[in-house]
Amino acid sequence: MNKLFYPKLAATNIKKNGKIYLPYILTCIFTVAMFYIICSLYKNKGLEGMRGANTLITTLGFGVWVTAIFAVIFLFYTNSFLMKRRKKEFGLYNILGMEKKHISKVVFWETAYIALFSLAFGLICGMVLDKLMYLLVSYMLDIEVTLNFYVSGYALTATLLLFCAIFLLIFLNSMRQIHLAKPVELLKGGNVGEKEPKTKWILAILGFGCLIAAYTISITVENPVAAMSYFFIAVILVIIGTYMVFTAGSIAILKLLRKNKAYYYKPRHFISVSGLLYRMKQNAVGLSNICILSTMVLVMISSTVSLWIGMDDILNSIYPKDINITLREVTPQNCEKVERIVEENLLEKNLEVQNLQNFSYLSFSAYRDGSNFKVAEDSDVMTSVSSNNFIILNFLTAEDYNWLTGQSAVLDTDEVIVLSPDREYTSDTLTVFDKTFQVTSALDGEEIGSQSAFDTYDVVVQNAQVLATLSDLQTQNYGELATDIYYEYRFDLDTDAQTEIAVHRAIADDLTDADMGVYIQSRENSKSDFLGSYGGLFFIGLFLSVLFTMATILIIYYKQISEGYDDQERFQIMQKVGLSKKETRKTIHSQILTVFFLPLVTAGVHIAFAFPVIARLLRLFNLSNTMLYAVCTLASFLLFALLYAVIYSLTAKAYYKIVSSKS
Amino acid sequence: MAILRVGDLSKVYTTRFGGNTVEALKNISFSVEEGEYVAIMGESGSGKTTLLNILAALDKPTSGEVLLNEKSLLSISEKEISAFRREHLGFVFQDFNLLDTFSLRDNILLPLVLSGTNYKEMERRLKPLAQRLEIADLLQKFPYEVSGGQKQRAAVARAVITNPMLLLADEPTGALDSRATDGLLQLFTQLNNDGQTILMVTHSIKAASHAKRVLFIKDGEVYHQIYKGTGTTDEMYQKISDTLTVITTGGERR
Repeated sequence: MNKLFYPKLAATNIKKNGKIYLPYILTCIFTVAMFYIICSLYKNKGLEGMRGANTLITTLGFGVWVTAIFAVIFLFYTNSFLMKRRKKEFGLYNILGMEKKHISKVVFWETAYIALFSLAFGLICGMVLDKLMYLLVSYMLDIEVTLNFYVSGYALTATLLLFCAIFLLIFLNSMRQIHLAKPVELLKGGNVGEKEPKTKWILAILGFGCLIAAYTISITVENPVAAMSYFFIAVILVIIGTYMVFTAGSIAILKLLRKNKAYYYKPRHFISVSGLLYRMKQNAVGLSNICILSTMVLVMISSTVSLWIGMDDILNSIYPKDINITLREVTPQNCEKVERIVEENLLEKNLEVQNLQNFSYLSFSAYRDGSNFKVAEDSDVMTSVSSNNFIILNFLTAEDYNWLTGQSAVLDTDEVIVLSPDREYTSDTLTVFDKTFQVTSALDGEEIGSQSAFDTYDVVVQNAQVLATLSDLQTQNYGELATDIYYEYRFDLDTDAQTEIAVHRAIADDLTDADMGVYIQSRENSKSDFLGSYGGLFFIGLFLSVLFTMATILIIYYKQISEGYDDQERFQIMQKVGLSKKETRKTIHSQILTVFFLPLVTAGVHIAFAFPVIARLLRLFNLSNTMLYAVCTLASFLLFALLYAVIYSLTAKAYYKIVSSKS
Repeated sequence: MAILRVGDLSKVYTTRFGGNTVEALKNISFSVEEGEYVAIMGESGSGKTTLLNILAALDKPTSGEVLLNEKSLLSISEKEISAFRREHLGFVFQDFNLLDTFSLRDNILLPLVLSGTNYKEMERRLKPLAQRLEIADLLQKFPYEVSGGQKQRAAVARAVITNPMLLLADEPTGALDSRATDGLLQLFTQLNNDGQTILMVTHSIKAASHAKRVLFIKDGEVYHQIYKGTGTTDEMYQKISDTLTVITTGGERR
């Protein structure tokens, strides 16, 4: 036999099956390119040098792993779908006299072609796009770049190794599928007498239970620290719940509908309920995949975009002024010393202190207990951090309050003003350490102390004496964990970023020399760190979203195609039995619409319920602008829904072509 | 009264570019009386299936007319044709054409559901029918769970549950073993005795021998016909097989 027989046959096979192979090959190319890019960025020398690079590189490293795992699972899954579709073809070869080892040879060549083709094109695309991505990252992180074309050796090797391994795995799996099957089974291929799905009540109820539990967690957990750990539990519950609800829940509901005779035996419901029942069995897993991928994309995009857009807000909330100095060992001498050092340094640069805010305050944690604040026993300080009632109390004097806000409040020893930006303070009294104060006014204005992820209350007391008393009580209660009264000294500068950083460094050096427990931060100095971590998150969010969206598209496409082949026969029978073409088209259309938009709707529900917990998680990243997050979520959902609809209508065309090809 | 009248029916297939034409049916005329049981016989390619498709309003003739109960099938608009087919014609196919997604009960009820019949009426019709066709115990099963004969009986039930004027059967025994074939043919005879008009297309002599009249089609034309009269099924079998021998060996007409 001609030596070239198998390679040639393999090439013809791929061409003949273009309709299902082209998207697969495109996906392979795309995945290869994406993996190359993320690897190359991960090892990029240009990024290494910049400030905040550590977090960025860690994030990118995480991205490499996610992409790799994704590539393995996804390509494997897609290929096994292709093999299922082609069983009939292999069965025919087998009957025509090809042994399984010959078929294996053909499959080997096919896999080799696809591997070669996608690696070659994928790497070329990767190398071209790599530059573009690098530019994007540097633009996002605000760093200078030198443009020169280079090929990342690391990325090249990693990509080649990973994808050769994946394709080998795919080949072995195809062999397994072919070897296990008997020729008759191969001929029958996809449509082996499908049994009607059984109702699995326990699974269905468990699935709904998982979802309800996850939703409850999201809604009820108010504490950001607790949200962090509960979030992962909720994510896992949602994933499990989605699979169960799609597989068992949908069938249980449809069967209930079918039991209702008056409902079921109506022209519209009759065909769609039974059709859906049948479809859900085959498609439940695919649909849950689509749903979970969509949810992931939406969560990633909306949260990383909000962090990115909200970065200035975040910086402003963490650093109320350009330069922020906190003095821990508060004595009049030390306070003066801080002022002197600042003035000397500013004089050197010809700058002036602007919008100065200086005040003393006492800050400690407590937790809400009705209208009172309870202070934790030292043993449960740690556990109380994750309680919903965990709060931060900041005490400052009326004198400082008046100076900061321009008010002229006068208080008695047992009177306080409460400022609570996070939630309204409703009680007339405020009790802490068994000391009860009368609340003269409760305002929900701006916070004075810096913002934290927890609910914060600023309490204005009469004078320094009251503050000192509270400080003593606090020391007694917290022991080693107690904090002192701190002195805040912060101001703006009217200058550019570089000078600001220089001033920051100079002051910091002098303060360190003075050795009195001082902590100094400036907005500009921290900005590059933030750019590194939030920009990195944003980039990874975008990157993975693109990857997952592509996966979603491909799954939808393949679902449509396999649906099409399955429906072809049903479509014709219905017409023979007396359903008009138009009616048939309508019922089938409404079924597909339900099937394909179910994941999107479910993803929407997931996102809606995830909203509270993610908004709280974002507070850990100091983003307290919930409105911004809401807008980002809504915008990304709408965009995604639009994209989804476009993909759907494009793939639906492929579906109709298949369905109407015979009739 | 003639329930079906076919007059001068012709069907010409033209290849896509109009080069070659094939005459599948040439001036076919015949009629079927109410309560008759007619079999149409012919070899593969004789035009049987084309004829049946036209009678079922699935295809349009090139010329000629088809009158069902004095109403021309060709005059019915595309919109109404499906409903008409559903209500006045019953179909039994060689490969059953049952939907996998429905239980036998739902498959049988399909035409009634599509016509918007209420559920009580469906049940009322289904019960005696299922008893008579001996599938009462199988109604909850799905097509892939029952034998070929049982599937075909369910298909017959689906065809007659609407009380159609005419039952069209296309090679109904083609996919059945001999026992199931006997059962189905008995069933057809029984249905016919109850007054059901049946038109069956087949090339099985055995199936045709159960009919009261057999029409032979050759090369798109009605070649010959035999009446059973008072004869037995065995005599009919002999007559048919003699006729077929003449057709296949005799070459010349009549």
